[in-house]
Amino acid sequence: MKDTPLSNCERDFLLKAIEEKKRLDGRQTYDYRKMKIKFGTDYGCCFVDLGKTRVMAQVSCELVAPKENRPNEGLMFCNIELSPMASPAFELGRPSELSVKLNRQLERCLRNSKCIDTESLCVVSGEKVWQIRVDVHMLNHDGNLMDAISIAAITALCHFRRPDVAVQGDDVTVFSPEERDPIPLSIYHMPISVSFAFFLQGTYLLVDPCEPEERVMDGLLMIAMNKHREICSIQSSGGIMLLKDQVNHHDRKIASVKVSEITELITKALENDKAARKAGGRCGFAESVPQERITALKKEETSVEMTDVTDRASEIVEKAEVPSQTVPSPVVPVPGVGQVGQGLQDTWGLEEEEEEEEDEEGGEEQEEKEITMEVEQHEKDSRGGYFEFSPSIR
Amino acid sequence: NTTVICGIKAELANPTVEAPGKGYIVPNVDLPPLCSSRFRPGPPGEQAQAASQFIADVIESSEVIQAEDLCIERGKLCWVLYCDLMCLDYDGNVLDACVIALLAALKNTQLPEVTVNTETCTPVVNLEKRHGLNIHKHPVGASFCVFDDSILLVDPTAEEESLLTSQLTVVTDEAARLCAVHKPGGTSLSGEKLQECISRATVRQKEIQKLIDKVIHSVKTSQ
Amino acid sequence: MTSLISDEQILLFSGSMMEVCGSSKVTLREFGCEQSLLSRPDGSASFIQGETSVLAAAYGPAEVKVSKEIYDRATLEVLIQPKVGLPSVRERSREQYVRETCEASLLLSLHPRSSLTLILQVLHDDGSLLSCFLNAACMALMDAGLPMSCLFCGVTCAIDTDGQIITDPTAAQEKESRALMTFAIDSKERRVMMSSTKGSFSVPELQQCIAVSQKASEKIFQFYRDSVRRRYSKNL
Repeated sequence: MKDTPLSNCERDFLLKAIEEKKRLDGRQTYDYRKMKIKFGTDYGCCFVDLGKTRVMAQVSCELVAPKENRPNEGLMFCNIELSPMASPAFELGRPSELSVKLNRQLERCLRNSKCIDTESLCVVSGEKVWQIRVDVHMLNHDGNLMDAISIAAITALCHFRRPDVAVQGDDVTVFSPEERDPIPLSIYHMPISVSFAFFLQGTYLLVDPCEPEERVMDGLLMIAMNKHREICSIQSSGGIMLLKDQVNHHDRKIASVKVSEITELITKALENDKAARKAGGRCGFAESVPQERITALKKEETSVEMTDVTDRASEIVEKAEVPSQTVPSPVVPVPGVGQVGQGLQDTWGLEEEEEEEEDEEGGEEQEEKEITMEVEQHEKDSRGGYFEFSPSIR
Repeated sequence: NTTVICGIKAELANPTVEAPGKGYIVPNVDLPPLCSSRFRPGPPGEQAQAASQFIADVIESSEVIQAEDLCIERGKLCWVLYCDLMCLDYDGNVLDACVIALLAALKNTQLPEVTVNTETCTPVVNLEKRHGLNIHKHPVGASFCVFDDSILLVDPTAEEESLLTSQLTVVTDEAARLCAVHKPGGTSLSGEKLQECISRATVRQKEIQKLIDKVIHSVKTSQ
Repeated sequence: MTSLISDEQILLFSGSMMEVCGSSKVTLREFGCEQSLLSRPDGSASFIQGETSVLAAAYGPAEVKVSKEIYDRATLEVLIQPKVGLPSVRERSREQYVRETCEASLLLSLHPRSSLTLILQVLHDDGSLLSCFLNAACMALMDAGLPMSCLFCGVTCAIDTDGQIITDPTAAQEKESRALMTFAIDSKERRVMMSSTKGSFSVPELQQCIAVSQKASEKIFQFYRDSVRRRYSKNL
């Protein structure tokens, strides 16, 4: 499906507003939209709301063989799913330019910055290591997907627990969460991406652009940084020239402030969730549905009445005709071919002899080494007749 | 005129870690462009994928073959049965034809004896000794199509399938237990109507089982 | 001889039915729903049954690809996104179930040569997933304001090893059960629109499950009604 295009009118309006240092949703230039972090029932499942942008990340793991050149290191793999749910412009199946760009940025942000201790993911050197898989699903696209993705991914990684394993000789046993408590990943630092949108050849700059703003922007600069003010990656796209100073001082300063704010939020969210889990309270998506909104409704557990269910069921069974016990005997014209039923004349019948041969071929093959067996079951066009029922039997 | 051919290929493999005592069966339904102009070449379409899943469900639910029977040595070696169902001519009601073809093919499969050499841990295949598969149940499907929830037809042809408003497949085994009641949407049916279909299906099962037995018997005698 | 067998069968049936009668597990887990929670799609809803939750989004009617155009009605596409990895054959078959159920209830002929898209995202799977898909799909279609001839809801029943019926089973209950059935019930005459089963079971058991699902569907339809009423309570 095509996306609704932005009209010239809207474009001019937006640009003019930006020139006057005003934004559509009333934010200041360096403000982030309201951010919300929620966790699912599973470990490693995280929802991030950034204004109306909404993404979900799920971390999973499996045991695989490691890469030959790095036998002691676990693997990490990111997959960003631009599901058409987020925007009608996204299509399923082939990866778009945007999804490749986002995926590469996320991998650079997480894998190349070595934020996870991959060596701790090794189970048997050279044979079995954990592969950590991060699936990020877009649920609603309202601009600045990258920031939301990076926050969701790193939070999900922090939240994730992998099952415990034991190695005895060659055997590897994986313990279920009931048997042994799962282990959290060891994470060195939390890289978070901050996006800057540039307008009018870099004269104006906005943090956390929303979707209409993204459409009129000239360039985008994504800086991934951790709270120690170390830059993990910088990517600039769009045809703008940036002054070295501008990147070095201005943007870095803003980014570091934002990153420390977000990191604090994530830690707080993680702590909250941990406390909730410890207290044994219910957690997860089901609990996070806002009750006060009129669009939401919840109903307590209800029981279903069972009276007259049995009566009704037995009534139907008894009322139905008893199936006839006589069965027409099948006809076997030649060995290997059978026929039953009536109806249309089968036009394949003329080739019965050929089928016979095929069958025998199958038999010969059987005597050979391979254990293939081919049987041709010739399905006759056996129509059991034509029935018409009156609509009300009951 | 619907024709389905079923080939069964057995391979030795390592069982999965989760189910060390089980072998596995992998069914695959192929609807090639050869059988009808409605199918296009390329990766399997939705109908073929849904049919494969249906056959897999039937095998699992009906316990035609118990996965434990395919195990040769626990955690080490097991059989994998690849059941490839290929439609040669599509004239409606492929699901029934697939189930029948599968059952007949399974009944005719002979597996060689395999023993594991304890010293070298390699499987030894004895091609002289063969034995048939242990078929526990005989599931047979019966498809119905519904027109405007008043008319029921058994075994729809391709032409009827293109006009129907709803389709229903009931799979039963010899003990009249239901293995699958597959109705992917369409207009609704009442419990009474379903009951009618089920009784037809049980009769159909007896018919087909007799047919298969007789055919298998005739093949055996001719060899 | 033959009639003797059938008599025996009937006796057997009624015996098994008595067991089912004493079941006390026939409850629906608490369920919740939130409509229009996403800003981009034309209609969206999340549906929660116990821990199982599904997010659904509907787009349409919109422009259709030429290859998928149907001259007298709208083309409906259903996409199911699993939580981890890419959609497999299992998702494909579930897509088929959901699509054909929606096709039967939507009045597609009102929007010829257009496309409707329904995307379902698994948020958490704790059993009864297919019925949750159906419920979320129906709520999203309602939220998108698409014309429908009737509503539908999904109910999953499991039969455990003792022959007891459990409605709306959790993942653990599903694993232990002997048979699993999911039905879609329509709101007009409470008839079966869709049925998907796993495991083997007898005819009376099937009929009982249908009857139970029909009872349970009334609760769900009441919930639909309440939530829609609540939603539009301020707009009037």
